[in-house]
Amino acid sequence: MTINFTDIVIVAGNYGSGKTETAVNLAAACRRTGKSVAIADLDLVNPYFRTREARIPLEAMGIQVVLPDRQYLFADLPILAPAVADILRQPADVTILDAGGDDVGVTVLASLAAVLKNKPVRMLQVINAFRPFTGDVAGCLKIRKEIEASGKINITGLISNANLMDDTSVAHIYQGYDLVKQVSAHTGLPVEFITATPEIRSQLDLNRITCPVLTLDRHLLPPWKPTGAPPPSHLKLKT
Amino acid sequence: MAKVLMKGNEAIGEAAIRAGCKNYFAYPITPQSEVAEYLSKRLPEEGGVFLQGESEVAVGYMIFGAAGAGERVMTTSSSPGISLMSEALSYIAAAQCPAVFVNIMRGGPGLGGILPSQGDYFQATKGGGHGDYHLLVLAPDGVQEAVEMTMQAFTLAEKYRNPVMIMGDGLIGQMMEPVEFPDGLKTEPTNKDDWATNGMAHRNSKKRNLVKSLFLDPTALNDNNLALKAKYAQMKKEEVQYELVNADTDYQVLITSYGTMSRVCRTAIDMLKEEGIEVAMLRPKTLFPFPEKAVFDASGKESCQAVISIEMSMGQMVEDVERCVKGRRPVEFYGECGGDIPSPEKIIEIIKALL
Repeated sequence: MTINFTDIVIVAGNYGSGKTETAVNLAAACRRTGKSVAIADLDLVNPYFRTREARIPLEAMGIQVVLPDRQYLFADLPILAPAVADILRQPADVTILDAGGDDVGVTVLASLAAVLKNKPVRMLQVINAFRPFTGDVAGCLKIRKEIEASGKINITGLISNANLMDDTSVAHIYQGYDLVKQVSAHTGLPVEFITATPEIRSQLDLNRITCPVLTLDRHLLPPWKPTGAPPPSHLKLKT
Repeated sequence: MAKVLMKGNEAIGEAAIRAGCKNYFAYPITPQSEVAEYLSKRLPEEGGVFLQGESEVAVGYMIFGAAGAGERVMTTSSSPGISLMSEALSYIAAAQCPAVFVNIMRGGPGLGGILPSQGDYFQATKGGGHGDYHLLVLAPDGVQEAVEMTMQAFTLAEKYRNPVMIMGDGLIGQMMEPVEFPDGLKTEPTNKDDWATNGMAHRNSKKRNLVKSLFLDPTALNDNNLALKAKYAQMKKEEVQYELVNADTDYQVLITSYGTMSRVCRTAIDMLKEEGIEVAMLRPKTLFPFPEKAVFDASGKESCQAVISIEMSMGQMVEDVERCVKGRRPVEFYGECGGDIPSPEKIIEIIKALL
């Protein structure tokens, strides 16, 4: 089962649900199928750990990365690059928008409403069952409602990004998947895919999972993880 | 309780709730605003109060008021905000009130930048505000330790009737790690009837309390300062915390480092070990009281050729390290403080240059 997205994909969700890691890896996965891919960092909320930190490996794959001007990269100001509206007017095969967290993070989408109107848009809610406020169905539904109200756009699908970072086990993946399936049952929204690191993915019983699994390589690493290692094989573009 | 994945800032907020803190006043500033966001949601659920002050100056005195009234109270801010609170910190220390201040440091001086820094070491350990006072300063190196130190901070603040500061750089606030909230660190607030202005109706005492920092009589002021000094001496005796890394080897170099920077050093130490180079680290967990004797002892090991303090500053803790090494070994320094955190490879290069 593979992810076969086209057009515009917006990755939203509650604060710290793993939107950026998901968006960056989704961009890489789409690019590997030969499609043209653009990704824009719309996260005006989070001061650290943003898409901009994965820019170099993404660009090396031929993915167009839209960020604020360099001089504003480290500002905590709500700057939306004009290029974002441009790529929405002339989208790539897959255009991914990495939105900010919670309802405040998607406010910016309302300002893009005119450009997004009448375009095919997937609006995906990322859920990590091990984050505060989204450990149960009620919490996930509350976040969904707030995001829809603030972004003025309806969520069309769900993603489970269940993890406790380095402490993640296979059981956590199943637990998160089961929660998102319950949210799906309540809302009728499809589970578009779930995520797992390569090590965890290899241990998953894929018969238990009825949606695609996106392999997730971590890009937003803390500085004490040694650098200089070659980029993860997953990110290498197979030509 | 099962592990959850939390941002340092959120985890500090939750830790305060678990420690029985019902009052949190703050003013937003990057990179710590998530504490306020989190507690604005969570505190009302717990019957607590979140109030955003009109400025950090106001918040400082809101903390003084609540602490003087015997409440468990906390604020969080980042460097420039702590500067604005420093006057209140001096008053709170002088009036001997327990309170918890969290500084999630950003780059300075001035408005600086929003990325991580450790440039407020002097401010936290040597004053900040005026007069002869000290904060008890705890420096976590990750989200779990930030939780534990935040919970302990309320107990320590009440034990000494003194403000306690948690010093984390921006990364401690922004990074996510799996955490648990140990039940064992929960404590009940101490009885403050003896000194707090907690309301005559609520205590079994006719004694009227006055919380103040004004002592016009020179003898009274000197006595108050002697009482504070005695508390700081007791802290030095009872509260020093530090961690030694790779210190059971014949290390050639001793690193002193704290917080996020110490985690990079830890990686560098592991990588150097693979090359056959033994380096140890002493990581102060309390910046005040400083682990004076531990630094003296660790630097005196026969194999140790040099001590180097590695900080996200232009050289602050290194002054305490030098003081404690007492000239027995050369004390070097390496630091960056623009917001980029030195890589393990950079640390390795610096260490090798010493050998």
